[in-house]
Amino acid sequence: MDLSVMMLAALVILTLCAVLSYMYRDLGLIGAIVAAIIAFWAVSSANPELTIYCAFVFVIGIINLVSLKAIKSVIQGVDYGLVGLMILATMYIFTTQDLAMILVAFVLVSVPTYILVMIREGGTNVEVGIKYITFMVLATVLFLIGAVILAYTKSAPNAILYILGYVMLVLGLSIEVGVAPLHEWVPDVFTSADPIPMSIIASLAKIVPFIVALWVLIYSACDLTASITVFTAVLAAISMFTGNIGALTSKEPARVLAYSTVANMGYILTCLVVAINPEPAFICFALVGVVLMLFANAAGKIGFFNAIKGKGAYSPLMYLLAFSFIGLPPLMGFWGKFFILASLVNVGLFLGDAGLIYYILAAIVVINSAISVPYYLRLARDLGGEWQLNLANVISLVAVIIVFITVAFVPVDWFVNSMTVVAQTIGVVI
Amino acid sequence: MSNELIFLLLFLAPVVSSIPIALAYKNKGWTDKLPYLSVFGIFISVVMSIYILVNLDGQYTYSWIPDLGINFVFMIDYLSSYMGVITAVIAFFIAIYGLEYMKGDYRPSWYWFCFNLFTASMLLVVYSDNLFLLFVGWEGLGAASWGLIGHWFRDDDDIAYVGKAGRKVGPLEFSWPPSFGGWRAISTIRFGDVPMFLAIAAIWVFAGTLNISEINWHTLFITLGAAGTIILMVCLLMGLFTKSAQVPFCEWLMTAMTGPTTVSALLHSATMVAAGAFVFLKLTWYIEPWHMHDVPGVEYVFIFVLAIGLLSGFYGALCGTGMRERKVLLASSTMSSIGLMFAAAATSYWIEIEVAGMNLALLVAFWYMAIHAFAKASLFLVAGHLIHGTHSRFLCGDFEFGKRMKTAFAVTLIASSFLVGIPLLTAYWVKSSMDVLYEHLWHHHDMTLPLVLLIVISLLYSAVLAKFLSLNFIKGEKPKHEHLEGGGLMKLGYVLMVAMLFVISCGIILFEEAEHFRHAGGEVMSIGVGLAIFAVFVVAVYKPSISALSRFGSFLSDRMYLPYLNDYILPKIGFFISHILDDYVNPAIDGFFNTKVIPGLFGWTSRRVRSIQSGYLSRYINIVLGLVMIILVIVVILVRGVWQ
Repeated sequence: MDLSVMMLAALVILTLCAVLSYMYRDLGLIGAIVAAIIAFWAVSSANPELTIYCAFVFVIGIINLVSLKAIKSVIQGVDYGLVGLMILATMYIFTTQDLAMILVAFVLVSVPTYILVMIREGGTNVEVGIKYITFMVLATVLFLIGAVILAYTKSAPNAILYILGYVMLVLGLSIEVGVAPLHEWVPDVFTSADPIPMSIIASLAKIVPFIVALWVLIYSACDLTASITVFTAVLAAISMFTGNIGALTSKEPARVLAYSTVANMGYILTCLVVAINPEPAFICFALVGVVLMLFANAAGKIGFFNAIKGKGAYSPLMYLLAFSFIGLPPLMGFWGKFFILASLVNVGLFLGDAGLIYYILAAIVVINSAISVPYYLRLARDLGGEWQLNLANVISLVAVIIVFITVAFVPVDWFVNSMTVVAQTIGVVI
Repeated sequence: MSNELIFLLLFLAPVVSSIPIALAYKNKGWTDKLPYLSVFGIFISVVMSIYILVNLDGQYTYSWIPDLGINFVFMIDYLSSYMGVITAVIAFFIAIYGLEYMKGDYRPSWYWFCFNLFTASMLLVVYSDNLFLLFVGWEGLGAASWGLIGHWFRDDDDIAYVGKAGRKVGPLEFSWPPSFGGWRAISTIRFGDVPMFLAIAAIWVFAGTLNISEINWHTLFITLGAAGTIILMVCLLMGLFTKSAQVPFCEWLMTAMTGPTTVSALLHSATMVAAGAFVFLKLTWYIEPWHMHDVPGVEYVFIFVLAIGLLSGFYGALCGTGMRERKVLLASSTMSSIGLMFAAAATSYWIEIEVAGMNLALLVAFWYMAIHAFAKASLFLVAGHLIHGTHSRFLCGDFEFGKRMKTAFAVTLIASSFLVGIPLLTAYWVKSSMDVLYEHLWHHHDMTLPLVLLIVISLLYSAVLAKFLSLNFIKGEKPKHEHLEGGGLMKLGYVLMVAMLFVISCGIILFEEAEHFRHAGGEVMSIGVGLAIFAVFVVAVYKPSISALSRFGSFLSDRMYLPYLNDYILPKIGFFISHILDDYVNPAIDGFFNTKVIPGLFGWTSRRVRSIQSGYLSRYINIVLGLVMIILVIVVILVRGVWQ
């Protein structure tokens, strides 16, 4: 069956179940899961190389859905539908080469979080919502305008417009995901909102913006890209240092995770610099790095936030998640950082003498990984506890299994292979 | 059998066979039985080395890190094929002896593992053509020697000390426990290994290969120029001189006598100290310095080695005459012999005489090394038996005692007389050729001093070993304790060892390359020197100590106060440097990394980062909107200014 028809069917099921969940609350959950399964099947049968990517998104989405059971919200039922929508958009993102659809997917992932962030036990968290939404609106506007301007310069080259578009897109992305120095909302929202919706915002919601940004930047790359990427590199460096030093000097777990997000977004942002050469072989490493790092970040954040919600989780699980964040081989966090470094070195080699700054950036990534060691271990120690059979532990266990997937398939050839195909499709379109 | 398997068995059999005893260190039942397995491992190496001697020839290469020139390259040439057999056989005989000698020791696992590692490392040094691989074996020797010299690490038995307990000379106590002995060995060796490692790296950079036989030494030395050649060779020689305990790095060898006697025997004959001289021989073999008279700098290097060798030979022999401890006396004489080997090999620069296609100087050095190895190992093994028998590490034993220890007496008589160069006995022939070498230097290059020194050293050396013979079996004090029962395996060990001297004698009679030895033995000067040595030997046996010279003797037995350099002056310099570092450099580094600059930056950043989070939305909006605006404005200005 056609991919768009299947996706439409999934959307219909999702919507119907969300509506009906006013009568039967669990129907929302079931509808979301069914829609996710249909989308998974549709995308992976239409593009077999995306199976692994979709499987990761599916697992992350499902544990996000399940973790919502831990909270009695006033919109229970609809919240499942919102998360389901995000899952669908995230799976869909690689299958289309149409700018309009890509931007729609971006909005579809972004908007549901406005509502999710306000979820609280028996009420709504309006103050957090206002803070979050204010920044998200700004981010979305900057991002969309930037993307559209860049797409325009593709057909009508114009230096000022290109640079302006590039900067707006990157700034929009930075506000959206929380890159320093535009990260002001992150620590506040992460600490005052409920941990469960935060785990969704910190995991599932981060994937699409980066892929869209990477796609648009590669799509619109021109001669000027090499000069303006320095801007991204500087932002990434600031973000890594701010995030890691902030986390190192914070006590509250949620705040540590907030700054850790800022730092992780810095790592991932470095990958956008590969847009200077849109060859498939060239962007492949960056794509692998971005996606693996996002998955590692997602799994870790879900585990830690659920542990905060459940007042602690089984100690070894917490330590394993911390090791993944630190980037110890052979956990997923290591492979993410490995490919990020590989792509930076690639850029350095490509640029020759002018590539020094990217080697420095690679060194900064390594230094920051070292700075992050103490606070992740401290976090694992603070949140670690005895084994009990509860939701927090089960979800942490699944998160640990995700970061361990790369152990079973060392080296992560399979992932690189599938992403090479993806990179080729992007490259072919361009 | 494939060649890979031969080499694997040769190097790994000793190590692998001693792993079980190392693992079973807690179980006394097993550690009593497993030494036999370790000895068997060395036996396999003996078989392999003989197989290699008979069947293999040339270079064998197995890749390791080809990009860096680091490979498993083994060179089976005249030197390595014979030296390999000598090493393995000596280690095997000593191991047999050790089965009895080390019975009841408090950590047999440590001993056997290190002993076998020691043997395997030396074999690696012997057969390697690749300098890096050689260095691996070299470091293995260092590590194993540290473990073995300090084997009795509890320092609880006076029998294992060197020097009289509690005796003070100035601020220093002149007695060294095993743990300190081990430390002195490893620290001295490391001092030389680092420059040696740098020299190997430099060879790789300038020559493009690390295989000794493939390096174009002539081009290398020309490229480096006189100063470069001297620096490179001196760095390399630092490793060899420290390992071979040449002046002034000889102190560790004297206190290495704190280890079990088997270790001393192995250390002095075929491994460790011999390794330095052997590697020098090997390098010289391929450098072919006699063809390098047009290369600036090379002559200085060989004069330097000749000088250090002869100086060590003289110092060792002279100190030996004053020694009162059995093993330290032998150690001192070893140092002297090794010095002679270095010196003889160094004369190759001036000697162009070829015997059976090989340089005479190198042949002399090598044959002397072989004879010395078996003779010295025999003497050490006897010394170990005597220490067990009399429970004293000092020279003692009268004729009555000698009659009761007939085998040991006979072996000592044979080993010492065969080694010093008494006419017609094994070493005489080789020493005659050595005389010829120095005579050549005198006649053709106006260097008389080396010949004079050689004769003086030979006479002193003869006296030292005669003293050892006499004071242990003939004219010494009556031992306070005597435990003469048992000792079967120990006797077997040293009888087998000394028997090898007769085998070498046969070699001298039969081998083509020994022709010059036979010829040199008939020269008038050789006969004269030989008779003088014999006279000194007889006199020294008759009168082993001269009481009138006892003050001078104790000056000699204190090694001319050289321990001061090692234990006092060098540490003072070290402390001085460490004080400078501690008082001035460390605070700066600490200040930067640990107390002021970096932590300050962290604190500052952290305060800034946190001070932003006031919780007020309006503040955040101001910051973010402000930043976005500023960035956009700057970008527009830049774009207009730079790109248009």
